[in-house]
Amino acid sequence: MSKPKVAFFDFACCEGCQLQVANIGEPLLDVLDIVQVVEFREVMSEKWNGDFDVAFVEGSITDEHAVERIKKIRERSKILVALGSCATIGGVNGMKNSFDLEEVGKYVYGESYKFFPTLHTKAVHQVVPVDYFINGCPIYQPEFLTVLKCILQGIPYYVPEYPVCVECKLNENVCMYDRGVTCMGPVTKAGCNSWCINNGNICYGCRGLTINPNTEGFKEVLKNYKIPEDFLIRKIEMYNKCKEFDKS
Amino acid sequence: MKTEHYRILEKSKITDFLDKLNTISKIAAPVYKGFNNYAFQTIKSAEEVSLKYIPTVIPPKKYFLPTKDSLLEFTVGNELKVEPTVEYENLILFGVHTCDIAGIRCLNMVLSDKPKDTAYLIRKKHITIIGLECNDYCDEFASCAFVGAHLPTTGYDLMFTELEDYFIVHIHSTKGSDIIEKTGLFKPAQTIHMEELKVLREKKSAIFNNEIPTERRYLPDLFDRSFNASIWKELEQKCLSCGNCTAVCPTCYCFDIKENVDLSLQAGERYRVWFSCQLDPFAKVAGGIDFRRERSARQRHRFYRKFRYHIDRYGMVFCTGCGRCSRTCMAGIKLKEVLTSLIRESEAKIWRKWL
Repeated sequence: MSKPKVAFFDFACCEGCQLQVANIGEPLLDVLDIVQVVEFREVMSEKWNGDFDVAFVEGSITDEHAVERIKKIRERSKILVALGSCATIGGVNGMKNSFDLEEVGKYVYGESYKFFPTLHTKAVHQVVPVDYFINGCPIYQPEFLTVLKCILQGIPYYVPEYPVCVECKLNENVCMYDRGVTCMGPVTKAGCNSWCINNGNICYGCRGLTINPNTEGFKEVLKNYKIPEDFLIRKIEMYNKCKEFDKS
Repeated sequence: MKTEHYRILEKSKITDFLDKLNTISKIAAPVYKGFNNYAFQTIKSAEEVSLKYIPTVIPPKKYFLPTKDSLLEFTVGNELKVEPTVEYENLILFGVHTCDIAGIRCLNMVLSDKPKDTAYLIRKKHITIIGLECNDYCDEFASCAFVGAHLPTTGYDLMFTELEDYFIVHIHSTKGSDIIEKTGLFKPAQTIHMEELKVLREKKSAIFNNEIPTERRYLPDLFDRSFNASIWKELEQKCLSCGNCTAVCPTCYCFDIKENVDLSLQAGERYRVWFSCQLDPFAKVAGGIDFRRERSARQRHRFYRKFRYHIDRYGMVFCTGCGRCSRTCMAGIKLKEVLTSLIRESEAKIWRKWL
């Protein structure tokens, strides 16, 4: 049996999630035993003209050119995986959507902005169908391996629908709110094993909001901790601005 | 109280005791983590241990039911091979409060009922429990007197009680007396010590008063009247469904079963992880149906699991009064307040009937 052909592509992103894959360490050898990487610009020069069994896509879709390119990748791929926050939820690129596009163009490119047409930022699934989601900014390496194994076994991967607090509590971390810091853990999807908090950082909400957040209840909590609501909205929008396209 | 079951350890020798204990076996004890948080951790030296502590973030149940617990290993290929697994090691838990001992007794009850949880029972045999009695409340969240968990009764190997300048230690098992012998730091207790212990217990009975305006024996009736109580609707608005209350509860034991294969896709393990009735996916089944979609129904379920269902099945209240759920809840859902609200509403209903 030939090995599944795997490719990596990037759109608007920092390529950090692909770096996480390249830097996965010893398991990389085992990964390369079971898949054939045919295209991965960050680590190799070869290109592939045929179809892909699995395509990992990092980055969000931000212009017409990207829309055309992702559609072509989708056509050539049996399975398409969104890799990292930019691809799964739009990520930090989504912050652009809070502003007028012309204004944004001028801010970045000055008067020549007309030569760089831009669109509202979208996550990959808001443009083409996506089969698997690997959240995070950057992705959590153990979760990448879990999803890869699910793909190869032909079974679905369910991103946990509960908040980061669940994993954080089991790791017995001191709650960030006890330390007097605002943490996005209570409204952010788990699956990262509370990676940031384990290392003394807060949760920035990079994995996206939980499916059924009690927004009103959380606002009450913020009041008790004397945290202004708009401060939190801005924190949420840092990663989750593209969520509004999911509603339509 | 038989004097021959008691020993004395001078306070100045507690460090020697812990360091000696550490040469006998691995020890886990309460350690300060900052910001008024404590955790049971394996210790290297006695200095790390906090003798005065409020209940740890997670109860010591994590040593009996690890957060991730491997159940079996398997290999596929030509032939399916399955091997059950249990991971365990000898461990001494030092400084366990009576509320947490009550929690372990609850787990013992459920997990030795059929079908027996073999892994739990094997692990339990390898764990020695050294208790530490609380002479005063840890904080305002505790309700241990209501459930009667503020006094040592049973469920430990040794129980330390702090008195003026010594600890009086109750020996409750052969495992316990082995430790007394091996460490060789203890003196026999005398009548005077027993008297001082008695005085302390009397003092305690003045400090620890039932924290809830009802009695334990009325719980079944109270809960039978409270299924549609208005507090559940209030909790619907408040609860964030973060699952903190169940994660920190000494008597919660629900788990999810998962599988993990290695990268050869030929071998792997089946394991369980702690799970919670408060989380969205918990009661979801095929077809997208969710038996407890509403947060109010999930919170109500939690309270019925602590104060109603297990009274029928095991004759035990499954709350230890440790106060962890109230302490950890960001939304400020407090167990004492919920129970009080149920009592008030139920009393009002009864009065209306009579007037």
